[in-house]
Amino acid sequence: MTLTARIVLIALALAVGGAGYAQTAQQIVAGTDKVRNPSQPFRSTLTLTEYVGGKERDHDTFALFSKEDRTTRQFRNLVQYVEPARDAGKTVLLDGRSLWFFDPASMLSVRISAQQRLIGQAAIGDILTVNLAVDYTAAVLATEDIQDAARQTRHCWHLDLKAASDLAVYNHVEYWVEQGTFFPIKGKFYSDSGRLLKILYFRRFSQRLGSVRPAEAIIIDAVDTSLATTAAFGDDRFQDIPDAWFQRDYLPRLHIK
Amino acid sequence: MIARAFATVLLSAALGSAPVLADENKDLDLIPQGARQPASSSPMQPISSDRRQRIDLEESFAVSSMRDALLVPSPPPDPPDWEERLLLDVRKQWSLASRVNATYSGRLNLRAADGLPVRNHENVIHDLREGYASWEPLDRTYLDLGRINLKSGVALGFNPTDFFKTRAVVEPLSADPSVLREDRLGTLMVRGQRIWEGGSLTAAFAPALFDPSPIYRDNDLPSFDPMLDRTNAYDRALLKGSVQVARDFSPEFLFYREGGQSRFGANITESISQAVVGYAEWSGGRRTSLIDDALRFGRLTGTLQAHAPSALPEDSNRSFQSEVSLGAAYTTETKITFNLEYHFNQAGFSRQDWNNWFAAGRGSRSIASELWFIRGYASDQQQPISRHSIFLRFDWVDALVPRLELAGFINTDLYDGSGLLQLSADYYASDAWTVGGLVTANLGTSRSDFGSLPQAWNLRLKVARYF
Repeated sequence: MTLTARIVLIALALAVGGAGYAQTAQQIVAGTDKVRNPSQPFRSTLTLTEYVGGKERDHDTFALFSKEDRTTRQFRNLVQYVEPARDAGKTVLLDGRSLWFFDPASMLSVRISAQQRLIGQAAIGDILTVNLAVDYTAAVLATEDIQDAARQTRHCWHLDLKAASDLAVYNHVEYWVEQGTFFPIKGKFYSDSGRLLKILYFRRFSQRLGSVRPAEAIIIDAVDTSLATTAAFGDDRFQDIPDAWFQRDYLPRLHIK
Repeated sequence: MIARAFATVLLSAALGSAPVLADENKDLDLIPQGARQPASSSPMQPISSDRRQRIDLEESFAVSSMRDALLVPSPPPDPPDWEERLLLDVRKQWSLASRVNATYSGRLNLRAADGLPVRNHENVIHDLREGYASWEPLDRTYLDLGRINLKSGVALGFNPTDFFKTRAVVEPLSADPSVLREDRLGTLMVRGQRIWEGGSLTAAFAPALFDPSPIYRDNDLPSFDPMLDRTNAYDRALLKGSVQVARDFSPEFLFYREGGQSRFGANITESISQAVVGYAEWSGGRRTSLIDDALRFGRLTGTLQAHAPSALPEDSNRSFQSEVSLGAAYTTETKITFNLEYHFNQAGFSRQDWNNWFAAGRGSRSIASELWFIRGYASDQQQPISRHSIFLRFDWVDALVPRLELAGFINTDLYDGSGLLQLSADYYASDAWTVGGLVTANLGTSRSDFGSLPQAWNLRLKVARYF
């Protein structure tokens, strides 16, 4: 097919059903959001391994308590450090714009900004549970065959996500979702200036929290590509999490049982 | 629906049939070799309840430099020229029953210092910060009894609503206000708390169990006495509640009563942008000035002569006085967080009070003792001595190299431009080991708030092992 013919077909496609296709793209993102996280409240143990220059450097373990807000359709998260010992008991509340950090040493909670939450590794828990369909407007760029983290070829929708809410952490995201399964395969996250910040691969699709979901992610720092982090979920279970937990005064009372 | 399907077919045809993107797959080469295999799929072990603790052993050595000539000579003893401390710090919680917990937080100090006799009880000191039992009779309704560190406030450098901070800081290892909150004794109290969706209410009562005692100095601390006379010399009561007004706006209001005096307070925070958070903290009530508070306390505890007139003008009348912290935190993309705060202590020293203080200090040594007692009282109460000050702090994570954290602050008296400066560096050598150091300096002319202090600078080196 010639280039001219392709352009004509694209124009025709957009003219005939552009709005409808955009809605489909949004449904694809909503579908893959459901693959990543259940709609019931749950808790998980999240183990992060940080690599520098290809070598393991740090290990962090968190307890993650996550619940979808029925009003905003976005996840509210409580993340408590378990390891390293130096940070044990530190707790972060990540709930939209309400972001608090509690340190058991000073027994005080400090409000933090969206930018400040990204300093700590605890923010990874928030990034992995975010419902992209809520904060981003999606469009399908193409269908592509790409390799997943295990270098297996996956037939994917290549989506372009643009921030539609000021709660969106990234300005723009490229996302690959496997057709048929809605498995998230890969994401690329960009800053306001268009700079590529993170590359994310999902892997280890396995039965957890009532469905087949990715149990691990690899996050590559695209600004400094010598830095990478793996995030592995485990000890998953559904748990009733009262809404009252998601406020500053509860943070000193959150104890892992 | 048909139109959308038609469009999909057209678009698929236009874009071609699923090209394999070789360039896109090059990103896989960025995955570290050690991370190319997924983690074990075996079930992860549940988190042990043993992790409800933090234990560390810290070795710390400090040297100080004193100023030679002070406009107002400080009474002996001077701070030591050097100090060596070995600290075992334990914070631990036990589950006694399904809804009952016990909490201990304390620090064992072994110390040696210039001028401190060896084999003295001063060489071994235990700080009992907290020891209390907690019962949850109903979901999110708590009853706590024992020595509790009840803290309040949203600001970093000065917390007007942190009413239980007075007389509670013991042997601080840093001048950083965020660290001072860690080195502090709790108050023996009963506390009730109810947390519900969108709000919480806390009520606490601490009984008067001892007569007010003189201000402690670092060289007259008891070894194992919990020093409840510092925290339970007056009946104290606190009622505070927060309510969610909007989705991300939950102001907190406080009412506090101590020894027949009442204070009101409020805390608010607001997310201003992706990188900026603003906050304000206020408390107010009828009281006398800091000078008169100090003189009354000194006479009551016998440190100052009961009926001798002060070298400074006295005014025992009470009036409504406010304390305010107004600030903002800004975080850069390079992981540096700045906090800028304005502090107002209406009861603190005015410019005229400072003039009087320096003028009176040229008198006899006994007058100088009284003048320094007033400043020591302000420090013991954790109050800024000056009425107006500016506080700027930075914290830089992964500074220059990974695992290095640099932090620093300067607290500036707006009357004379003098300041307390501290810079610290901590390197997290591993998950268990941290090495670090900090330098603190009192900057300013000899006739200024910080420049008139006897200590010019202090350097502290430390190594800590976490368990």
